[in-house]
Amino acid sequence: MAGNPLNDGLRIEPTPGNATLVIFGASGDLTRRKLLPALYRLSRGHRLPARFSAIGIARTNMDDEGFRKQFRDSLREFAGVEPGDDIARSLAAHLYYLSGELDDPAVYQRLTARLQEIDGADGVLFYLAIPPSVYGTVIRQLGAAGLGGRTSEGWRRIIVEKPFGTDLTTARALNAEVHRHFEEEQVFRIDHFLGKETVQNLLVFRFANGMFEPIWNRRYIDHVQITGAETVGVERRAAYYEGAGALRDMVQNHLMQLMTLVAMEPPIAFTAESVRDRKIDVLLSAQPLVNNGRPNVVRAQYAAGWVAGSEVPGYCREPGVNGSSTTETYVALRMQLDSWRWAGVPFYLRTGKRLPKRTTEIAIQFKQPPLQVFKAASPSSVSPNLLVINVQPDEGISLRFEAKVPATRMQLAPVMMNFRYGTAFGGPVPEAYETLLLDAMLGDPTLFARHDFVEASWTLITPVHEAWRAEAAAALPQYEAGEWGPKEADAPMAADGRRWRTL
Amino acid sequence: MENAVNDAGAGAQALTATVIAVGPPGRLDDPAATLGQLTSTAAIRGILIRYGTHAEPPTRTSERFVTLDGLRPEYINNAVAALRLSSLPSIVWWRGGDEADLEGLAALADRIILDVEEPLPVWRAAVPLVERTSLGDLRWTRLTRWRALMAHFFDIAEVRAAAPLFHRLDITGADLPAAGLFAAWLTGALQTSERMHVDLQRTTGAPIQRIRVGNGREELMLELAPNGTCVHTAAHVEGHARAHRTVSLGDQSTTALLAEELRIRSRDAAFEAALRRVVEARSDET
Ligand SMILES: NC(=O)c1ccc[n+]([C@@H]2O[C@H](COP(=O)([O-])OP(=O)(O)OC[C@H]3O[C@@H](n4cnc5c(N)ncnc54)[C@H](OP(=O)(O)O)[C@@H]3O)[C@@H](O)[C@H]2O)c1
Repeated sequence: MAGNPLNDGLRIEPTPGNATLVIFGASGDLTRRKLLPALYRLSRGHRLPARFSAIGIARTNMDDEGFRKQFRDSLREFAGVEPGDDIARSLAAHLYYLSGELDDPAVYQRLTARLQEIDGADGVLFYLAIPPSVYGTVIRQLGAAGLGGRTSEGWRRIIVEKPFGTDLTTARALNAEVHRHFEEEQVFRIDHFLGKETVQNLLVFRFANGMFEPIWNRRYIDHVQITGAETVGVERRAAYYEGAGALRDMVQNHLMQLMTLVAMEPPIAFTAESVRDRKIDVLLSAQPLVNNGRPNVVRAQYAAGWVAGSEVPGYCREPGVNGSSTTETYVALRMQLDSWRWAGVPFYLRTGKRLPKRTTEIAIQFKQPPLQVFKAASPSSVSPNLLVINVQPDEGISLRFEAKVPATRMQLAPVMMNFRYGTAFGGPVPEAYETLLLDAMLGDPTLFARHDFVEASWTLITPVHEAWRAEAAAALPQYEAGEWGPKEADAPMAADGRRWRTL
Repeated sequence: MENAVNDAGAGAQALTATVIAVGPPGRLDDPAATLGQLTSTAAIRGILIRYGTHAEPPTRTSERFVTLDGLRPEYINNAVAALRLSSLPSIVWWRGGDEADLEGLAALADRIILDVEEPLPVWRAAVPLVERTSLGDLRWTRLTRWRALMAHFFDIAEVRAAAPLFHRLDITGADLPAAGLFAAWLTGALQTSERMHVDLQRTTGAPIQRIRVGNGREELMLELAPNGTCVHTAAHVEGHARAHRTVSLGDQSTTALLAEELRIRSRDAAFEAALRRVVEARSDET
């Protein structure tokens, strides 16, 4: 019996071969908040392999039992799982922990021994849930311990968290370091936006429907607005955020990914390489964001204000932030793609912290019909057609079109047709980390960033940072927390005869 | 330019299916509750048709839910034809009635989900319909997790190697037709129907309580945990360390099972094959 004869026609989605997950940074926030709950949900949904184990590694002194307790605590706190839950108990028995300094080769010897003790795993997935400053150390140590590269003993893969570099030079250096010890097909650079169902559905929406693609171009689309709005401030991440800012934290990765999915040409097949080849084409067609030393990016920082009924301090008053910080918490920019399909269609991207609403969306605004037939009867209309892809929190797709108001002679009003992911199919929508962990175990990199994407994205972003460094710091505008960004962000839109959507 | 309407909340939700529950009065209380729940949590239209004596029964209509109370069974096809929408897939949830009506419904429904207490006569009537509509059965849906757990064992090479020597399959549970369906699927997929001795034992309690397959020395076992929501799995096969796990059986409520069915639109070849085997094996019974 070669393949599994019982899998034919089984409605359950594929499960990976037996695997061990090694989490570097097992005592950290990401592990507790996202990774452990994702493992639990995967187990509950029968998506983990028959033989699955996880080994956590960090400096904090803990034994296996301590890690299992942390697992149960994080399930209670972040997944609402009751103590005594049978699935949690069963999964906990397969969790192990090693403590030590990540630059200590002995840790990797102990890891190798543990991996050998765990019987029957077909492969090992390393997850770097650690500060970026130690990515290189762990990658080198894994290589030195013979745990990188491909072996005949089973697959080995590595997930690298964001941020992947801080500019083009560091991203290239990190890629080079990774490639010294792992082949590209073993490397999974995570961008959790890509794990979201709506983002995947964007490909289906575009390429499984015959009716959208013919109008998905410069002849019918006026412009695209991509917004990533957060209500939170810098919270406890000041140390990281001070060196990052909104352009690095949100645009270089998440918003660029969304833009490429909207703008890419159809792939020849739904395979990782074909999809990722078409995405990189988009970035390569983008005009530089800096012209004659002037960056076409509006940046700003939040001042004190009110969000969700609470008074909040300005960014410079946040704990851990330098009082005269020039780190931007908001950016707005206009991307122009020099491609046959998109020439002349601007892609406006904006993101910010302490905005009035938490929402990420892509809004595609269509051109007005060539003739305004109803203008005389309904002068206030007509609103252009709008397609909105809600990425979070309320995943779905909405289409706005004009309709006649009943019992009027010819009064028009815009109406929305909504597709809501959460309710349409009557089942839970998986969290991004579930999808991505599973895909990495299955060896499918479609939803992960390839090395050239990361570098092409930094190629666009790094000159902006360089230009900002050369500018006077006093130029940084402020916006009141709880408002939709600075008024400076409206000017480039107004110059094009457009406005940001009020969300 | 913006926002004459509130984009997030306003507007009609895009629907995914019309679900039509059909059956005698005593069999439609649960479906009424389930459909009510599904129409509020999933993007479907719900229609409930209770059999009775009226040619034109009283009809209650709300935004996404229609109830016909007391329709004469011979008019079921007309009612479904009138209430279905050509733009949405129609899914009939069959809770009982005259099997002869299934043929007419098969021409109108994109999918028929069977859900009756004594399934054999309905299954017999359903076998010829598989070419005309996509067929399902909630008993089969209930078996999905059990099948997946059994299939998990066969990801292990040693289990696949041992499988040709398995000659006993024991299933205990309160739902013997479901046990029969599982046995038909397993023996068919393993191509062991000839030599496999199948023993189905009726117990009280859960529809399926325990499934064991093996050859005396080697054994795969799935057993419902006392809490009724988890399954203990154990594999004992030569050359392979003994493996025990406890896994969730998933949400087995009717609403969850129906929601699972709503995600499936294509024909289910594994179900059709199992159905045929069950019907053939019991062709001598009336
Ligand atoms: N948290 C999130 O929601 C989130 C979201 C997106 C991306 N990320 C990324 O995920 C990674 C982890 O983030 P996090 O929020 O979990 O950070 P964190 O809470 O600070 O956790 C860092 C982890 O790394 C361990 N560690 C090992 N060596 C370290 C060293 N030399 N210095 C500092 N920590 C060391 C820490 O444990 P010990 O102190 O016990 O060694 C801890 O387990 C980062 O790259 C971050 O950018 C996080």
